[in-house]
Amino acid sequence: MSKTETQILSSSKVGRRSFLKMAALGTASFGAGNLLAKEEKIRAASAEEVKNPFPGSKTVKTICSICSAGCGIKAEVQNGVWVRQEPAHDHPISEGSHCCKGTDQIDLTKSKQRIKYPMKKENGKWHRLTWDQAIEEISSKMLKIREENGPDTAMFLGSAKFNNQQSYYFRKFAAFWGSNNIDHVARI
Amino acid sequence: MTNHFGDIVANSKLIMMVGANSAVANPIGFKHFLQAKDRGAKLIVVDPIFTRSAAKADIYVRIRPGTDIAFAYGLLHVIFKNGWEDKDFIDHRTYAMDQIRAEAAKWTPEEASNVSGASVAQILEVAELYAKTKPAAIAWSLGITQHSVGSSNTRILPILALVTGNAGKAGGGCQIIRGHDNVQGATDMANLADSLPGYYGLGKAAWEYYAKTWGVSLEYLQSRFHPELDAKGEHKWMHAKGFSLAKWWQGVLQEEKTHSSAPIRVLWVQGTGITSMSQQVKIKEAIDKLDMLVVAEPFVNEAAIITDRKDGIYILPAATQFECEGTLSATNRSAQWRTQVVEPLYESKADHEVMFAFAKKFGFYDEYVKGMKMRVEKGEVVQYKDDFVWPDDAVREIARTVKSIGLSGWTPERLRKHQANWHLFDPLTLKGHGEMEGEYYGLPWPCWDEKHPGSPVLYDVSKPVNEGGMGFRNRFGMEHNGVSQIADETVTLPGQKIKGGYPQLTKANIEKVLGITLSEEEKAQMGPSWAMDFSGIIQKYAREYGVCVYGNARARTIVWEFPDPVPVHREPIHSPRWDLVQKYPALPDQDNNFRVATRFISEQTKQDWSKEFPTIMTSMRLVNLSGAGMLERTSKYLSSITPEMFANIHPDLASKYGIEDKGMMWIHAPHGTKIKVRAHYNRSVTADRICMPYNFAGVMQGVDLSANYPEGTRPYTIGESSCTVVNYGFDPITQISEFNAGLCRVEKA
Repeated sequence: MSKTETQILSSSKVGRRSFLKMAALGTASFGAGNLLAKEEKIRAASAEEVKNPFPGSKTVKTICSICSAGCGIKAEVQNGVWVRQEPAHDHPISEGSHCCKGTDQIDLTKSKQRIKYPMKKENGKWHRLTWDQAIEEISSKMLKIREENGPDTAMFLGSAKFNNQQSYYFRKFAAFWGSNNIDHVARI
Repeated sequence: MTNHFGDIVANSKLIMMVGANSAVANPIGFKHFLQAKDRGAKLIVVDPIFTRSAAKADIYVRIRPGTDIAFAYGLLHVIFKNGWEDKDFIDHRTYAMDQIRAEAAKWTPEEASNVSGASVAQILEVAELYAKTKPAAIAWSLGITQHSVGSSNTRILPILALVTGNAGKAGGGCQIIRGHDNVQGATDMANLADSLPGYYGLGKAAWEYYAKTWGVSLEYLQSRFHPELDAKGEHKWMHAKGFSLAKWWQGVLQEEKTHSSAPIRVLWVQGTGITSMSQQVKIKEAIDKLDMLVVAEPFVNEAAIITDRKDGIYILPAATQFECEGTLSATNRSAQWRTQVVEPLYESKADHEVMFAFAKKFGFYDEYVKGMKMRVEKGEVVQYKDDFVWPDDAVREIARTVKSIGLSGWTPERLRKHQANWHLFDPLTLKGHGEMEGEYYGLPWPCWDEKHPGSPVLYDVSKPVNEGGMGFRNRFGMEHNGVSQIADETVTLPGQKIKGGYPQLTKANIEKVLGITLSEEEKAQMGPSWAMDFSGIIQKYAREYGVCVYGNARARTIVWEFPDPVPVHREPIHSPRWDLVQKYPALPDQDNNFRVATRFISEQTKQDWSKEFPTIMTSMRLVNLSGAGMLERTSKYLSSITPEMFANIHPDLASKYGIEDKGMMWIHAPHGTKIKVRAHYNRSVTADRICMPYNFAGVMQGVDLSANYPEGTRPYTIGESSCTVVNYGFDPITQISEFNAGLCRVEKA
């Protein structure tokens, strides 16, 4: 069923009978949609919508996550969804400029290729896990290895993408685990 | 970066970029260089390839990869010979410049030209222009650091700034343009194998200090480490540097001699693109051999893809930085508050939540987060509440602890206010207006206390310390070879109540240096030195006397702890100039740095590599990809700009091997690996060299690894990683890999 037909059927203003009647006329859904759209489906945009296509949205000031220049971003969020990205013209470093990577931050965040859930490779195949399963399996194995050969059996690679607090807490994580085997790309 | 981008626009009259292609790597940073150029500044670009940045330069100097030191000494030779150096600056604020002068004397323009490939005329032209145009900034990036002589490279360029009196000046200075958004912060916070946060190192005093701020005993931390004691009875592996990102894989493979309490059996990767590291085949072999690989990322880290292993890989979904909140440090040391935009998508967790979840399972969660429930009372760090607020309480924990680089003034309240009012800061000066009057945007560190405005220009002696000024740091003792390391009497900053240079402030010397008498209560609360003084009393007196807690010293031009105290040219490990290998050989092999042996001279002189591998291989940057490309290759739009891996090759070289434009070619490395990439005829390279981006992965030595990606996660573009053929070679201090001066043999595929 096409989108138009679904809309027609879900519209309380079009009864089942009148829909069938139109279908019987052989106009097919395309024609029916057009006809109805003209008369019924274009609702008046609200005054708020005219000003902003995302009513009720809020603007969040944030910073690009690609390079160290530190360009400002204004992210528009509606109902928990990042709907639009604006350059921050009033930001003292970038003054509204963005490179192609910066302009793409909104799409990158929502990329289809995001990892969606924990996974494990077993017998050459990827399997979905819950977080609880993953944490349980990984930690019990790590603790067993730690028991056998000590804490220097682990190597922790952190990130230049962590914020400062996460970064500090990652260093602390390695310290509490009991190893100085921790590094990130500043070496590289 | 000693200065900031706006300062370059407003004040620089010359910018010399060496080993940086900011036009594509940091385009908005580079925009500022172009604005400076519009205002009349000269732009000089020194690079082995004619980059997009070079295309905008007034003068482009092409040098051979790995010869930056030779080129710089060529400039210094001409500068000293003509008396163009800043004699006052050298006399009052530097140490051991005579040793630099002696080395520079050897580097006639002819010899500098012979080694670097720059013409004598260009060396003379650049030397005169750089020396006579004030103020002049030097900018660099990974083209300087990513070499087997990287640590010497990073010393020779500041020496140029010192010789010409450009250090600590508006429009001058050293502009290290960093890569990732928070590589500065992640380094400051020590995602590093050789230090605790704030460059405190791994000595016992550092661990004691951190035990206090974390609210645990030193014994508790010791109990977490391997129990082996060293000759002094100290916990050996707590004080030894760990394995580094560059060579951790030898901790698994152990083909070279390693020095650790155990082999590496688990690799935990959280946000580092593993395919941007050299020796990809060795990394693959190491991952194959591990007991387990744990990857926590928003996108699939190709660590999980390059391996043949069928079991023991876990991939955890981590949130992006738009799904969590915290601060990050820009390349100019400004802190910026990054507000969360959306909740973590799918089942992803913010990075710190991943750490917290495992800390609970590992049994140290309560101790781990205790620091966020603590504050300083009368010089002691004490717990004052039972819960914590992320990230605010972590920001406070860092502020009370990381005094070494001056983060004491970085409170969550101030940083949030800077973000809310970023429109009130002047882009050229970073100075605040209105209610932000008296502060610089992002409080660029050092920001010594909660009243300090931040320091927009490092080592600027024209401003009072309390307004962002400072001399050079007294970090390396009071004297060396009988010469005082303290700045002389002429270096007195405005508002400074004592005259001339002075040492860093400690509990032992503060009364004498400032001429004060401490009360018993102050003595009881004060830490042993300014960097470990939770009480803040040392900073309180420093503010009162207009002095900088770290002292007012001379910039040393030699580093006596390094194998090369004076930076000297050493030929790349795989050099195209066998004749120069004899004259400028690599260092002796290293037995143990970051727990592993490393070959230098033995690899360099094993054979004349240039016979079998006659073509120089160097790296390049792309505007659409960064790092391992793990993020951007999942963007349809960014991927489409470079849909596949390629190498830039000059038609003269290509035609010699029958390689056609847009045809396929093999690139063979001295260590026996190869990659198959598309040849792009390109005249940005000369016929003796090729260059390649390093941002691809998913193909290894001609084999497509698409099948290894979990369903729906394969990026839009995959390709050979140039790091598969990046030659063996590491810096003796930092162990950074030699990405930029290798050799290869090309072949039609």
